[in-house]
Amino acid sequence: MRTTVPRLATFAVEHLLLLPLGALIALVWVNTAPESYYSFTFAISFAVNDVAMMIFFALITKEIVEATAPGGVLHTWRRVALPVCASLGVSVVPALIYLRVVEALDEPVLSLGWPVTLTMDLAFVYFIGRVIFRAHPMIPFLLLLGIAADALAFLVLALFNPLRELHLAAGVGILTGALCIAAGLRWFRVRSFWPYVLGAGSVSWFGLFWGGWHPALGLVPIMPFLPHAARDPGFFVDARPDAKDALSQFELWWKYPAQVALFFFGLVNAGVPAGALEAGTWGVPIAVIVGKPVGLFIGAGLALVAGFHLPQRVGWRELAVGGLIAAIGFSIGLFFCAELFPPGQLRSEMRMGVLVSLVAAPLAIVAAMILRVGRFTRHV
Amino acid sequence: MMSRISWFGAVLLVAALASSPTSGQPSPPLPNRSDSLKFAAIGDNGTGDRPQFEVAQQMDKAHAAFPFELVIMLGDNMYGGQQPADFIKKFQEPYARLLAAGVTFRASLGNHDRPENVSYKPFNMNGARYYTYASRNVRFVVLDTTQMDAKQVAWVDAELQSAKEDWKICYFHHPLYSNAARHGSSVDLRVILEPIFVKHGVNVVFSGHDHVYERLKPQKGIFYFVSGAAGQLRRGNMRPTGETAAAFDQEQSFMLVEVVENEMHYRAISRTGNTVDAGVIQRQARGGAAERKTEHAREFALR
Repeated sequence: MRTTVPRLATFAVEHLLLLPLGALIALVWVNTAPESYYSFTFAISFAVNDVAMMIFFALITKEIVEATAPGGVLHTWRRVALPVCASLGVSVVPALIYLRVVEALDEPVLSLGWPVTLTMDLAFVYFIGRVIFRAHPMIPFLLLLGIAADALAFLVLALFNPLRELHLAAGVGILTGALCIAAGLRWFRVRSFWPYVLGAGSVSWFGLFWGGWHPALGLVPIMPFLPHAARDPGFFVDARPDAKDALSQFELWWKYPAQVALFFFGLVNAGVPAGALEAGTWGVPIAVIVGKPVGLFIGAGLALVAGFHLPQRVGWRELAVGGLIAAIGFSIGLFFCAELFPPGQLRSEMRMGVLVSLVAAPLAIVAAMILRVGRFTRHV
Repeated sequence: MMSRISWFGAVLLVAALASSPTSGQPSPPLPNRSDSLKFAAIGDNGTGDRPQFEVAQQMDKAHAAFPFELVIMLGDNMYGGQQPADFIKKFQEPYARLLAAGVTFRASLGNHDRPENVSYKPFNMNGARYYTYASRNVRFVVLDTTQMDAKQVAWVDAELQSAKEDWKICYFHHPLYSNAARHGSSVDLRVILEPIFVKHGVNVVFSGHDHVYERLKPQKGIFYFVSGAAGQLRRGNMRPTGETAAAFDQEQSFMLVEVVENEMHYRAISRTGNTVDAGVIQRQARGGAAERKTEHAREFALR
């Protein structure tokens, strides 16, 4: 019998270990031998950020696709509506705060980095959420919130990326071709994931690259076409080794290579010199640590006014703690920093800001202890 | 450790000389030839505060005797508010005499400058974040190191490749080499730009960002200056290393430069009018990095 709630320790080892390890090595390396660090990471950054990260985003998409199946957190629109409404608050409020903060800090060019404040690291959010709430309705709520916020963030990135020139017609044309290939494979009931990845995925990668969007998202539009299980086994629940559907097979084949990709992603993107702790660094942490809880209250409030209901056992205290957990952008945040800023001081400041924002995790735990939510609930 | 202490000593000595009773006297003169290119360099100037005005007054004085035609601005040309009134207070008023005398300012952008400042006419950027121009036998390449994207990197490579002038001088905000404690070297930018500079025989690079004055020993045949104290100052921020040729961090400062055929003469002058560093650079031999000969500066250094 397969559990729908993976063991936390196993999850941490399998999903969360290599990225921080890569980040830690990067931090030590860049502060001891910066020239060799930059020479190495600049040489591999395209391979890591634009190619290898395709696997990571594909696996996240796989979780989302499965979550739309019966039993999944995204099944039925009514269940999704409140977190989606709340995600608007969680996105808009930090972005506005960020713009005010960088203005006050006299770092006008950093205003380009506001999409970084929209991001949430789903795996870390899930992990910290589980640490605090164990099995609680706040977990799927946070995941839905993260999915919606990240989807919005990527949409923003596609539309307002200052570093890429858009070739809309060519990009859309090639991407449409990739979708047709994927649809054709599904039509012919192809069960192996390889034709989807190598055929449709390659064309999609090229379409995004040529169109001026991020090619690491190349498999995202393809994943929904892969045949998947009838019911969702649960978010971040690993596929069974004997699973036959293409989506599960994809995960079994790629989950460890994805961790290797994340290790190199951490290595390439988390290397910030200690000198990057500039005024502008504080823009992201202030915006997300203050803005996400406030935004969550506002977003959830608007949803309640619109007639939606909070999940059971979720009240203002849970929302306050959840808002702090939502401030963890880590991997996606670092990804956005690399997308929005070329090498230089601003990118380093932004990355440092994303790393500093990790303080939201212990803050969330402390808040949970003070507010007595989740595992810290006092039972009378 | 000893070398660090000795460099601290050197900085203190420079500071002491700068404030000595004999300072303020004319220091080793620039050639001041009628046919040479004369320019000044200022960085991190746009505060609108009294020290900026005092540096500007020293520039006025210098201009009377040494009529430079150009001021290169090394970024952070404006701090804080950047409304029309701020441009008057932080640029037009301090440099009113120079502007009236027809001196041309050519700016690069720093991290405190708004991107739209490229369209401010007196900065002569003509709406471009990065641009190039030539004056006599010097090719200037002005970069925006706040946003060093791939397009700009390709551009600078092509521009330096096609430059035919004797001297190639680049200036921008973030220093590739700096030994100030606050920011220090922008190593990531160095990894990108230095190979291009070496390949195309760039002679001299000016930067700001660190609010000090520092002249570095030639790095891979290129002379680097940090002059980021024409308004701001981080007193005592220098941490000289073996790369440092001279440094000054006790007062605001600016530079005067004169290019005479194969020589580039320079002087760094403090807010109170003292020369804190001066010398002459011989133009390096052109060619590939391996073939380039670096001739050491004949220095009038005050150390």
